[in-house]
Parts: sequence; structure tokens; C-alpha cells
Amino acid sequence: MIKILYRFPYLFLLLFLLSGCWDQTNIDKRAYVVAIGLDKAEEDQQYKVTYLISNPELSKQQAGTNEPGKEILTFSTNDLMTAKKLANTVVAKEISYNLLTVLVVSEDLARDKFFLRLIYDSIKSRDIARDTPIIVSKENASKFLIENEPKLETRIHKYFELIMESGSESGFIPKSTLHSFFRITEADADLFLAPYGTTEKSDNKKDILNDDFLAGEFQVEGETNKTQLIGSALFKEGEMIAKLTAKETRIAVLLNDTLDMGELLTTYPDPNNEDYRLGVRVMKKEGNKVNMNLKQTIPSIDVEIPIRVDILANHGMKNYSKDSPEREELKKYLEEQMTKEISHFVKKTQEDFKGEPFGWSLTARKQFKTTHEYEAFDFMKNYPSMNVKVKVSIEFGNFGRQSEMPSIGEMRD
Amino acid sequence: MYKTEGKIGTKELFSIIILVVGTKLTDNTPLIFFDDLGNAAWMAIILIFLISLLPIYFLTKVMTLYPEMNLVEVTNHLFGKYIGTLLLFGLWLLITNSIISTSAVYTDIIGTMYFTKTPIVIIYLLLIAVAVYIAKKGLENIGSASWVTIISIKISLAIVLLLAYFKGETAFLFPLFGEGELRIMKESALNSSIFAEFLLIALIATNVKNKSSYKKAVWLGLLVVTVEIAVALIAYVMLFDYNGVKLLNYPFHETIRLIELGFITNVESMFFPFWLIATFLRFSFLLYINALLFGGIFKIKNFEYIIPTLGTIIVFLGLIPETPVFNFTSNQEIFLNITTPIFLLMPFLLWVSAKVKGDYKK
Repeated sequence: MIKILYRFPYLFLLLFLLSGCWDQTNIDKRAYVVAIGLDKAEEDQQYKVTYLISNPELSKQQAGTNEPGKEILTFSTNDLMTAKKLANTVVAKEISYNLLTVLVVSEDLARDKFFLRLIYDSIKSRDIARDTPIIVSKENASKFLIENEPKLETRIHKYFELIMESGSESGFIPKSTLHSFFRITEADADLFLAPYGTTEKSDNKKDILNDDFLAGEFQVEGETNKTQLIGSALFKEGEMIAKLTAKETRIAVLLNDTLDMGELLTTYPDPNNEDYRLGVRVMKKEGNKVNMNLKQTIPSIDVEIPIRVDILANHGMKNYSKDSPEREELKKYLEEQMTKEISHFVKKTQEDFKGEPFGWSLTARKQFKTTHEYEAFDFMKNYPSMNVKVKVSIEFGNFGRQSEMPSIGEMRD
Repeated sequence: MYKTEGKIGTKELFSIIILVVGTKLTDNTPLIFFDDLGNAAWMAIILIFLISLLPIYFLTKVMTLYPEMNLVEVTNHLFGKYIGTLLLFGLWLLITNSIISTSAVYTDIIGTMYFTKTPIVIIYLLLIAVAVYIAKKGLENIGSASWVTIISIKISLAIVLLLAYFKGETAFLFPLFGEGELRIMKESALNSSIFAEFLLIALIATNVKNKSSYKKAVWLGLLVVTVEIAVALIAYVMLFDYNGVKLLNYPFHETIRLIELGFITNVESMFFPFWLIATFLRFSFLLYINALLFGGIFKIKNFEYIIPTLGTIIVFLGLIPETPVFNFTSNQEIFLNITTPIFLLMPFLLWVSAKVKGDYKK
């Protein structure tokens, strides 16, 4: 037994074999691309790629260098693979996509027919992960990446990860990746949503209270990053066809069970007083109940959305927690409001987009026995003429930490 | 080198079966089913299981009848010297072909998915060299190595499938029958030879401790392998949907690149080593069987000595085709279709001739 134990240290010699021979590269000889931007180039069938290369030295706590945190370069190229080598004419280190956190596509390119051909480069490559998120930028992706200067997240690779996470959690942007883009485009039955962002401010005053705004339209003052990620870009058959506002994105996320939903925070007008608004938190209790009847001449879809609502802010100072008839009334009112909002948007998808980003085709599949029958039915083509009924059913959660409100009238007498 | 006199038990044989057949779910075998059947590919596996019950039943029946003989001796005994040798030689050619094409595919997996810059020749040589080394140590060593590693390999597989299941979408499994029931039946009948390795297990029947443990390992192995492959095919569809799954060359390797362990992303390097070990053991067993069969046909007693030679030939032949995935995937389907009648009929014919010869009455 002891004899065997003596031999054990020799096993550690095997560790040297693990490094590999030809594929071995040292970390300090690699340039890690954190974000790739894709733009249209002047020439046809070509595009401009922008690399945002992060400086790994910046993350060292001690002995920080004076080197900047990132390096950005833009150039014309044919595809993502050959671009790697082209970039080496400028950047000394070997380009690696291993730590890629986001793919930024300019709206111009996304609306182009050529986009679908380009994006398929990304699965040819060994080192681009299928779950890399896509962002559509209003301006050129190169400008978006240059202008984007987060003030506190100087470690740029963390920034994208975090802002996508918190943005999709609050429902302002959808959570979508290359993987879901390919899946939805290949299935050719639903529409795909990608987060929409910009660094350009636009002045048109929109209805902020009703979340009816897009990236760039949210007025922020102070010293902060110019980047805003709000709303989404709608893709049909691999091509961008429209932009959805924050509110529409929120509805789409609420209706789509394949998109992760955190808690949506929003406001609704107070039923008792037009001047005040209620701040609410919406959470999904369980999956939506989608019933379909596709066999009849006008196919119908019945959707029931079970949600849990917490009242967070209540400027009308009503004591909903004590008053059960009032509470019932509020519930009915909110249900009506939401159903109206949702039905309105569903109508818009039927009339304007001729397709839905809600993943309903997945439920439709269950009605068919074989893929041939399902594909012959052509869900996307039939969707605009379908009879869609939406119903929201609310269950109240809590009414804030202190649920009771003093009577303002009595305090001010 | 000595000839292994030692015998293997139920658990070793069981692990060998699982590694040799079960590892198929990680190469391009799923592609054959997805291409033709889409999201209903998993049903084909269940059907193939039902189809192969009969040949495996006859085979075990024949093998238990002659406890002192392995498949080479049984075939020679029942079919006579000439037909028997011809049949066995055909079987040997099929196995050799299968080893060449699958080893080229496995090399391609390592080359395209993991070590992109390493020359294919080096990967191929290393893969076969390790397999030859293990195979030359004999069946007993292959068996115990399989038994030692199988638990960790299967735990890692279970984690992959579990994570894939949670990340996936059950709705992708619908429309339930995919390309239609008739198509499923046809394809599963044609490709039922993915379980043809069970024929090879009969070649080492005499190396198993006793007949009851041989029977137990074969039936248990068949059951586990079926469940394993079916669950894996379901998991791939749940992740990639029926269109996407047809486009992937190696769904298992795409799966381990896609899933994440909580906050840890890029987890493929945690599963790759286990897969490598399974691959090495799989090829060492196939090489061993190949040599054993060759030795049986040409009456070579110390057949372990031809393993290195066979390995070298395999490397050279496997390096010939340009793009292994496409050549061998289309090839493999034809190969499976050719092997199917042999897999389905040979056990039955063996059993019939044993009956005719009257060996059952003795």
C-alpha cells in the first residue's frame, strides 16, 4: 500500500500534458474581444466589424497600469473568421472570441436582407458561444461601442453582462441570445425580439408614465453614461421589421413563456383619482394558459395570464388592505386595464407585423401529429386572421411594508 | 505479454456495454436519426429496442447453450467451417470499417470542437495509441477500467442532460410524431443495427464468469443504453428545436458548450475529459474485439500481438477521406443499413441451426 502511495506524485507529472501542444496560448498573448459590433459597409456583401478589446490588466487590484481599459477598432471585412487575422495587422496579440459578452448590430444592418447570411458566421466559429446576447443599436454599432462609457463599470466586460441582466429583469428589454435567434428564425413561426439600445438622445417627449418610449427617449440628467437599453427590435424571418417600445416589450415578455421574466415594475392611473398613479410590481405566478382551436375556419387563441400584483406606491392613500370591496374593485380595474393594453398590442402584431413574438406557435404544435401537418398549416401566415382573446387574472400579493395609510384629510384639517 | 486468463463479471461486462453502445449518443449517430425523423428521433430508439429484443434473445439463448464456446466457435460449429469462416470474416470487415469511420469521426470531434490548431494526424495517433495500449492489456483490464470510470462518466452525462432539460423547452418535442409514424418505423427498422455491438459481446461470452452474469449484464445493458440514448435525443431536441438539431454535426458537444452551471459558463472543459476517457475505452474494446475475431478466423492464439498492427492500419485508412463528418455520416447510414440484416438474422439463424442440429435435446 505504502509503495503505491510513493508513486502517486508521479501522477502530477501528467499535468504538464494537459496544456496541449499546438493549441496552447498564454493569456498575455491574447486579446480578448468583449463586444463585436457589426455595421453595413459602403461596398455590397461586405460589412464593418468593430472590436472592443478589454484590457485584462485593469482588473488587477494592485499595481494598476496607466493603460486604458479598452481598445476599439473598426474595419471592413468579409466575415468574422477572417476578421480575426485582419485585426492582427493593428493589434499585436492574437484575437480571441472566448470572452465575447455581446454582439451589437446596427439597425441599418439588421434591416438589411444580407444580415442573416452574416450572422450565421457566428456558429461556424468555434469560440463564439451560442448564448451570446445580441443588441440592436440605433446608430452604427461602432459609434455605439465608442460612445458607451459606463462611469462606474470601467471593467467593460462586466458592464454588458450586468446591464442586460438588470434590464431584462425589469422587463424593459427582452433576454435574447444568438441561440434563440437561430431557433426562432429556423422554426419560421414566431418573431424574435432583441434588446434595442442607443447612445444618442432624442428630444421627442414621450409618455414616460405609460412606459411608451424607446432607447434614447428617456430623459436623464446628470453625469452618467449615454447608453440606454430600452425597448426591442422585432425580427421577422431574420430581418428587423419594427421597434417595440418599453411597454410593448413588457407585454411581449409577459406573454412569452420562453422568455425569462423577473418582476416588472410599472404604474397605472389610480381608479379613484385621475391625478394619482399606482406603482405596481407584476410577477408571473405560473405559465400562461394558452388554449387554441386551430381546426375551425377562423382559428382562435384563448390566453389566460395569471399574475401576482403588489401595490408599491399609492398616492391616493386608500386603505386597500382593509377594505375588501375596494380591493375587488381595484383588481377588476387593473385586470381591465391590462387586458386592454395587451389586446391592443396583440391587435397591432396581427395587423402591422403579421406575426407574434409570444411563442404561441409552440402551443400550436401540440395540435398536430406530424411536422408536415404543422408546417402545412403555416402558423405565421394564419396568425393575422386568428381570433385572439386575452384574459388577465390578478392575485394580489402585499401592499407594501406598511400597508395602512393615514387619512391625509384628517392630518390637514 | 500473457493472454488474460482472468474472467470478467457482471459489472465489468455491463460497463463495457454501456461505454461501447452508450457513447454513440455523443458522436454523429444522433444526426442520422435527426436528419430523417426530426423531433421524434427518440421514438426510433424505443422501437429499435423492441426490434432488437428478439435477436438478442436468440443470441443469448444460443450462447448459453454452449457455455464453453464464444461466438467464433459457435458459428464455426453450427455453420460449418466454410460458411462460418466466411460469415465471421464478413463480420470482421464490418467491424473494421466501423472502427475506421468512427475513429475518424471522433478525431474530427476533438479537432473541430476542442483542439482546432493541433494537426489531425497527431490527434488520431494519440487516440489510437492510447486505445491500443489499453486493448493490449487484455479484456480484464478493459473491464475493470470501464467499471472504475463508468460512474464518473455517467454522473457527468447525467448532469449534462439534467442541465439541458432545465434549459430546454418541452414544447419543442411537439408535433409528437415528427415526420410521421410510418417513417419512424421504417427508419428504426433500417437502423436497428446501432445495437449491433451486442453481437460483439457474444465474442467474449467465454470470458464472462458464468452464464447468468452474462445474461444479466446484456439485458441490463440493453435497457440502460436505450433509456440513455432516448433521453439524450429528447434533451437535444429540447435545446435546439427540430430544425436546429438537424443542422448540428455533434449535438452532444454543442450541448455542453451551451449549458451553464449556475454562474459558471464555458463548462465544456468540465465534461470533455470524461468523454475522452469513455472514447478511449470504447476504442480499446473495439480494437480488442477486432483482434480477437481476426485471431479466431485465422487461428492466431496470441491475438493481442496484432492489436498494434491493426491500430496502425486503422490510423492510415482513417486519414484518407478529406472531410470525415460528411463522408462518414452518409457512409455510416449505408453501413448501418447493411449491418441491420446481419444483426437481425444471424442470431436467428444460429438458433435455428442449433435446433436443427438437435443440440438442444442433448
